Amino acid sequence: MEGDQETEVYTLVARKPSFDLPTACPNCLPAYIYLKLAQLPFELAFNSTFPDSDELPYFESGTYVAYNNEDGGVIEKLKKDGIVNLDSQLQSLPDYLSLKALIVSWLEEALTYEIWVGTEGISTTKIYYSDLPWVISKVLFYKQTYLAKNRLGITKENAEQREKQIYKRASEAYEALSTRLGEQKFLFEDRPSSLDAFLLSHMLFIIQALPVTSVLRCKLLEHSNLVRYAEKLKSEFLEASSSSPSPPLHSFPSSFPRKSSKPKGKPKVEKTEEEKKFKKRARFFLAAQFLAVVVYVSVMGGGSSEELEYEDED
Amino acid sequence: MANPTEKPEPIPSTPKLEPKDEREELEDINGGEEEEEEYEDEDDGKPRTREDAIADRIKAESLFRRMRETPVAVRVHDVIVKGNEKTKDHVIEAEVDVLRQATTLQELLKASKVANFNLQALDIFDAVKITLDSGPPELPGTTNVVIDVVESKSPFTGQVGTFTKAEARSSSLEGSLKYKNIFGYGDIWDGSLAYGCDHSTEVGLGMCLPRFRGRPTPFTSRVYLSTQDWLKFSSYKERALGLSLGLIASKYHELAYNIAWRNVIDPSQMASRSIRRQLGHNLVSALKYTFKFDQRNSSLRPTRGYSFISTSQIGGLAPDSRTLRFLRQEIDLRYAVPLGFYRAALNFGVAGGITFPWGSEYKSKASCIPERFFLGGNISPVCSLGGPSALWGFKTRGLGPNESRREVQDNESGDTYERDFVGGDVAVTAFADLSFDFPVKWFRDRGIHGHVFACAGNMAELSENKYRNFTATKFLETFRSSVGAGIVVPTSLFRMELNYCHILKKQEHDRAKSGFFMTFSTPS
Repeated sequence: MEGDQETEVYTLVARKPSFDLPTACPNCLPAYIYLKLAQLPFELAFNSTFPDSDELPYFESGTYVAYNNEDGGVIEKLKKDGIVNLDSQLQSLPDYLSLKALIVSWLEEALTYEIWVGTEGISTTKIYYSDLPWVISKVLFYKQTYLAKNRLGITKENAEQREKQIYKRASEAYEALSTRLGEQKFLFEDRPSSLDAFLLSHMLFIIQALPVTSVLRCKLLEHSNLVRYAEKLKSEFLEASSSSPSPPLHSFPSSFPRKSSKPKGKPKVEKTEEEKKFKKRARFFLAAQFLAVVVYVSVMGGGSSEELEYEDED
Repeated sequence: MANPTEKPEPIPSTPKLEPKDEREELEDINGGEEEEEEYEDEDDGKPRTREDAIADRIKAESLFRRMRETPVAVRVHDVIVKGNEKTKDHVIEAEVDVLRQATTLQELLKASKVANFNLQALDIFDAVKITLDSGPPELPGTTNVVIDVVESKSPFTGQVGTFTKAEARSSSLEGSLKYKNIFGYGDIWDGSLAYGCDHSTEVGLGMCLPRFRGRPTPFTSRVYLSTQDWLKFSSYKERALGLSLGLIASKYHELAYNIAWRNVIDPSQMASRSIRRQLGHNLVSALKYTFKFDQRNSSLRPTRGYSFISTSQIGGLAPDSRTLRFLRQEIDLRYAVPLGFYRAALNFGVAGGITFPWGSEYKSKASCIPERFFLGGNISPVCSLGGPSALWGFKTRGLGPNESRREVQDNESGDTYERDFVGGDVAVTAFADLSFDFPVKWFRDRGIHGHVFACAGNMAELSENKYRNFTATKFLETFRSSVGAGIVVPTSLFRMELNYCHILKKQEHDRAKSGFFMTFSTPS
């Protein structure tokens, strides 16, 4: 199987990019970052018509496919099938499991809550529904909000209490992670692991995709060493292949107007070429029009003089 | 929009020529009022004496003689509708408009038959009777038409049958419950459950209005929820919730609009790459125009005539650019030549279809899998008029472009297929069929006959820039073909064939085998 894969191209199919993230979906970003941390060359393909699927992201290579709803997730499946395993020597460490539990339960719950309830789904349009018609996206939005609330166990009676619990746990988790990390490059010594992928994905999403008013975002930004950790890993692993570096994370609010103008940088270059073409064509058109008018005037002007002669004769 | 296989049998009631009419004519000739009064008295009762009866008969015979020789001029003065408690007058009058255009008695009799048929076709009356009565005495040469209708006592009817629907692409077995004429506009509401030959199920609610805002053709609408299960052949399931509107439905033309939320899923998670890429939700907003010209003498066993059908579909007609954008065109041409012995006939057919996405970057976009063409199945090409669909000997979705499915790690038994048939953007089929009666009378009486056939077909992909690899030579070289012979048994619901097929040419991975096969087809 591995021999076959060496000749085949690796592809990760995820949801579409937005918010300056390679994939805006919080479930797809960990897999992307994991593959980048492992420095495995792969292609990125997009599926923008299935927002309510738990199969995405999936990793494929020839006829091999690793879906996210099998064997504990894409990352676990890639580890199990021997494609890429960053945790080979870390799984025996005592705090690996406890950190993993912290990240995949408390932090993931907090993120799910913040996306669908805390910020009332403001970011979901760009993440999930940008390519779907309005009718379908509205129905799916209500469906996914309902399912998220169910998963988090939120009802009308316990909504406030649950919200407090989720935010409290998130704060405690950030505190613990900040203490654990210190000024290290990675969570475990100097080698990346799948937990770095989960944590980095969580942080990048919160900082870049959630609005400034988000409670969770404010809580995260209190821990500057976590923000620095995210920035460093982002610039080293995620932007190594991309051409233009994005602005620093902590200045996200002030850089927002810059960000909105930055994407226009590339299209502006193309636009001037198009504009040149258009101007050239416009010039040709005007010249042709002018020539036609001149010809008309000269020919018909000669004709009218003949008519005048006729009239004189009459 | 349902096209029932059976149209109501025209049972025109012969218009009664009341004795009044004949006397009206005679009065014109004679020009006496006194005589008219006398005759009117006698009109109140049946002719009492034998002499009166003979006189009436003589007058009727003379009238018929006159009608045979020369057109008898008459004008319709008024149309009187009786018996309609619920149905609105204008609904009935709209169906009998043809009566007002008649200028002679002969035309009026023909028009009465047509009007009677139109009213029966509304399907809301138990009985219809049209009577020609004399017009007002001060207007000679006029007649009043009296229409007596008996509205259906039980508005509910149930029906089970085989149909071909506008939005489906194959025949289906359907059970429906109809509620007729709720609002008195000739409206028919129906709820139906259909099971199709293409592994589809559909639940629907429909409404049919014979006259909608003065339009000449009926207006039909249908809300449906359908599922099609192609897991075994192409590793996907298709679910759709939609609304289809039949805008125009006349003898040759049909225009329908369909808007549907379609969802393509793969519960087995075994799909090949092309199918995986297309999983998800789509909004289909499409206009479909069908031109049908069928001059064959039968759609189940054509022995003479020809037919042509062209179906054009354009999808993406919505202000939102995120709806599914595609173009689809199918044509089907048939010709039947009678050979003169044992009711033998030679049937030829050629069908082709092409589909392509449109919009920005249309050449590199993939065409939508449910809109592609799939050949093969247990239906007979002779009956499936509408586009390339079937080839004898090839199983359902059994030929054409295919891809490897996802690899399976544990060893399973080999009865599941390992490849997905992903369909083609262009498809061509052709067939020739010689049908003949058996010399045995028992078979002839039941319509059981034999046939010998040959067919060929092929498909190719064009979207996703694959049109660059398409060449006519390669397309012709990879044509699949088969020959065979069999027995055809027509039943009231469908046409059944028991055939032996021999596959002449097939490609690698095609699901086709030489041997005995049965096909079931409904007329379309």
